[in-house]
Amino acid sequence: MTKTYQPNEPIWCAGCGHYGVRNALLAAFRQMQVESHQAMVLAGIGCAGTLQNNVSAYGYHALHGRVLPAATGAKLANPRLDVIAVGGDGDGYAIGCGHLIHSFKRNPGVVYILMNNGTYGLTKGQHSPTADAEETDEQAFDGVQLGLSIPGSGFIARGSSASPVQLQALMVAAMEHTRAGKGFAFLEVLSPCVTYNDTYPAWAGRMVNVDALAEYDCGDRIGAFTAVNSLLVENRFATGLIFKQDGKSPERRRLDSGQAPLCDLDISPDRQLSGFREIMAGYGV
Amino acid sequence: MTANALTDLNVMVAGQGGDGSLTVISVLAELLARRGYHLYMSRNVASRIKGGHAEATMRGSLLQRGCLGDHIDLLVAFEQEAVDMAATRMAAESIIIFDASDGALCRDALAPNVRVVEIPFGRFAVRDLRRDLFKNSLSFGVLSHILSIDEGEATNCLHHIFRRLPQDAIAANTKALNRGRQYASELYAQQDRWTLADAERSEQLLISGNEAIAFGFLLAGGRFFAGYPITPATEVLESLQKHSVRFEAVAIQAEDELAAANMALGAAMTGVRSMTATSGPGFALMQETISHAGSAEIPLVVVNCQRAGPSTGMPTKPEQSDIDMMVFGANGDFPRVVLAPGEPRDCFELSVQATNLAQQLQCPVILALDQAVGQNSSTIEPFDLDAVQLQPGKRLDASELRNMSEYRRYQVTADGVSPWAVPGTPGGESLVTGNERNEWGQVSSNPQNRRTMVDKRQRKLDSNLQLLPRGKSWGDADASIGLLGIGMQQGVIEEAQQRLTAAGLRIKCLQPRTIWPVIDETLDFIRSSKRVYVIEHNQAGQLARLLLAAGASKACIGSIRKYDGEPFSPGELCSEIQQAEADRQGESGQ
Ligand SMILES: Cc1ncc(C[n+]2csc(CCOP(=O)(O)OP(=O)(O)O)c2C)c(N)n1
Ligand code: SF4
Ligand SMILES: [Mg+2]
Repeated sequence: MTKTYQPNEPIWCAGCGHYGVRNALLAAFRQMQVESHQAMVLAGIGCAGTLQNNVSAYGYHALHGRVLPAATGAKLANPRLDVIAVGGDGDGYAIGCGHLIHSFKRNPGVVYILMNNGTYGLTKGQHSPTADAEETDEQAFDGVQLGLSIPGSGFIARGSSASPVQLQALMVAAMEHTRAGKGFAFLEVLSPCVTYNDTYPAWAGRMVNVDALAEYDCGDRIGAFTAVNSLLVENRFATGLIFKQDGKSPERRRLDSGQAPLCDLDISPDRQLSGFREIMAGYGV
Repeated sequence: MTANALTDLNVMVAGQGGDGSLTVISVLAELLARRGYHLYMSRNVASRIKGGHAEATMRGSLLQRGCLGDHIDLLVAFEQEAVDMAATRMAAESIIIFDASDGALCRDALAPNVRVVEIPFGRFAVRDLRRDLFKNSLSFGVLSHILSIDEGEATNCLHHIFRRLPQDAIAANTKALNRGRQYASELYAQQDRWTLADAERSEQLLISGNEAIAFGFLLAGGRFFAGYPITPATEVLESLQKHSVRFEAVAIQAEDELAAANMALGAAMTGVRSMTATSGPGFALMQETISHAGSAEIPLVVVNCQRAGPSTGMPTKPEQSDIDMMVFGANGDFPRVVLAPGEPRDCFELSVQATNLAQQLQCPVILALDQAVGQNSSTIEPFDLDAVQLQPGKRLDASELRNMSEYRRYQVTADGVSPWAVPGTPGGESLVTGNERNEWGQVSSNPQNRRTMVDKRQRKLDSNLQLLPRGKSWGDADASIGLLGIGMQQGVIEEAQQRLTAAGLRIKCLQPRTIWPVIDETLDFIRSSKRVYVIEHNQAGQLARLLLAAGASKACIGSIRKYDGEPFSPGELCSEIQQAEADRQGESGQ
């Protein structure tokens, strides 16, 4: 066996919500029988963005806010990989929010786990877009609401690091969604920062698990939107599998149209010389 | 000009955007190419969708030229503004074919010896053919008469360009052509007609630098491209979108330049050869990503087709004012390569080399174009496709990896390049990061490790200089005066040198193709000269400054700069050099 790097132990503060996310991810990998070399874990910058160091996989530390474009490029290039993008709420909702919108729209087969703690942990506690309105004079942002408003979105879920069993199930569902070629799977995790914004007590009473509601239909976008918004008005939020709709990812569309994965292409120029000659002839005068 | 066949002809067609000026140029290009002329074409369109001044200029010459000539010999103008704008560039005895639909030409701005043929094309086109658009074929008819082209040849060329139009449209355009010829024969004296040469026709391509970049990338195995539209780089994206399906490649339009560059990084990490292309403002946005590719050691090719800055500047005008940004931009110390092609063939070749180099060095490789190199088209010999070779770099496959006792993504090696495995390869699990890290990819700020890693990355460049493309040099190797320029200067320098040589000045020239790092070839060229004029398009003299910083002697460097958005003409450059030489002589005489 080739010796390669060994995952580190996390460097998070004791009690940080991100531990729950990491543990759920490891459990989901086990459940899905993910082979470490077939998994690519890409992370943004922040406390959340150190998770790739703690899993056995191909890990990548992206720039702050740019984890989704990098993950999109990787998945388009090698659709066999389980591509998992992770990051914080600052990473995904502030500096990288433009890419989040376009990832819903573009629908690449990427699982995106966004650890929402309502603060910038790594830079020591500044407000994030989801910080409490009472502290910031600005209304908090809601990523689930955003996702539901984008027509192409196909998998929107919210878990909590305090509910490991459900979290693992949501991760598994997200991976199944992307593996089936259905596209982008967005999973926000309420993952408190015990050091700068300990929301464990405040959030505990505010979560409403839609998975447990018999009448809730996660295939109904309008219903989901209504439910999520009504809860927000009451200062509560939905957790569970909030919305799911079968789409088709761009990499799956490529494969379905008979195109090979980019990473498998034989690129030696003599393989396709006649094609190149024809293009060149098109420039002939 | 009348008696002898034309060896060098500059034609401009100008009017309002949407006038179809380009079709006239295309038909004329076809005609000249059939007569064995080399072509150089430039378009200049106000950055608006429709309307606004638009012009297309073409040079047809029996010698291969890399720029427009000093003057315009023939102008087809659909409006007064077009004449006023071109007036100072008109050659003596030149001809203007003017659309007098809105009244006679006011020729106040014109030299007396410029001849004008006034025909109300637009009005005639509407009157006889019921559509204003036919004025283009009509004007080509006039043009073909003046150039003594017979009806058969003119019709042939027109049909070739319109071959994809429906039959009735072709018929109507043919009619317009003949009307034009008829008007001209009534209005234009037989004895004043010009004649074209009839040289041997060789196989040529008519291609722009941007198109050649895209083509070279595909040949070099490039299969992932992401870009965000921006003038004057968009054609790289568009070309690749056009050709991607056939090579199963991906050419994606991203939501912004940050996404474009980072998508390319993501794909590159899986081993797929990746590129992005942009211009100044977008390149500025990509700085963080370029530094990251340098740090994380990810192979990435970035095309920067420069336009006049700063900020949004003049989007359709060429400049070379991002040299500083390409060479020194972005945070931190990291290795990078900047290559600067000068014409479409160069674009093709350097695109291939850049794509290979990125793999070999695992670092960002920047292709520095300018608007003129990127968007102007010229005729060149077909590319030698068989000569293209792929350099895989130090990629490890599964079996190689299996035979290794350990795999460290950032292993410290003699030449600084670490063998690497891509995701999906069993046994190659690793951490890729822009943070400082140890050989395993684990974050580290240990001072000893830091020095080792910074040095390792720099060594990739320092110990692989032999891989970097050499420049092109020509002229009198023993001359003491040198001309040096990159990108769009190449064609102008070549022609200026020929004229100066003919005037008795001994001159040698260098077009460096690797501008970063500054390689010995460039410095040797300077060291072996008494004077080197560095010719560039920017106000600050960025290239000259770069060479000085690399060790060129201050006494030796003369800086010739321009930043008005218009390329140097060969004549203009000749006078600049002659003036500078005269000044030097004046100084040393005192
Ligand atoms: C371009 C850029 N701007 C700013 C930073 C500094 N920075 C690092 S992490 C971070 C915020 C992290 O917050 P979040 O994404 O919520 O992650 P958390 O630490 O809370 O898990 C910031 C602003 C950076 N690394 N890069
Ligand atoms: S600062 Fe907050 S987010 Fe960061 S590790 Fe500590 S608890 Fe977690
Ligand atoms: Mg946070």
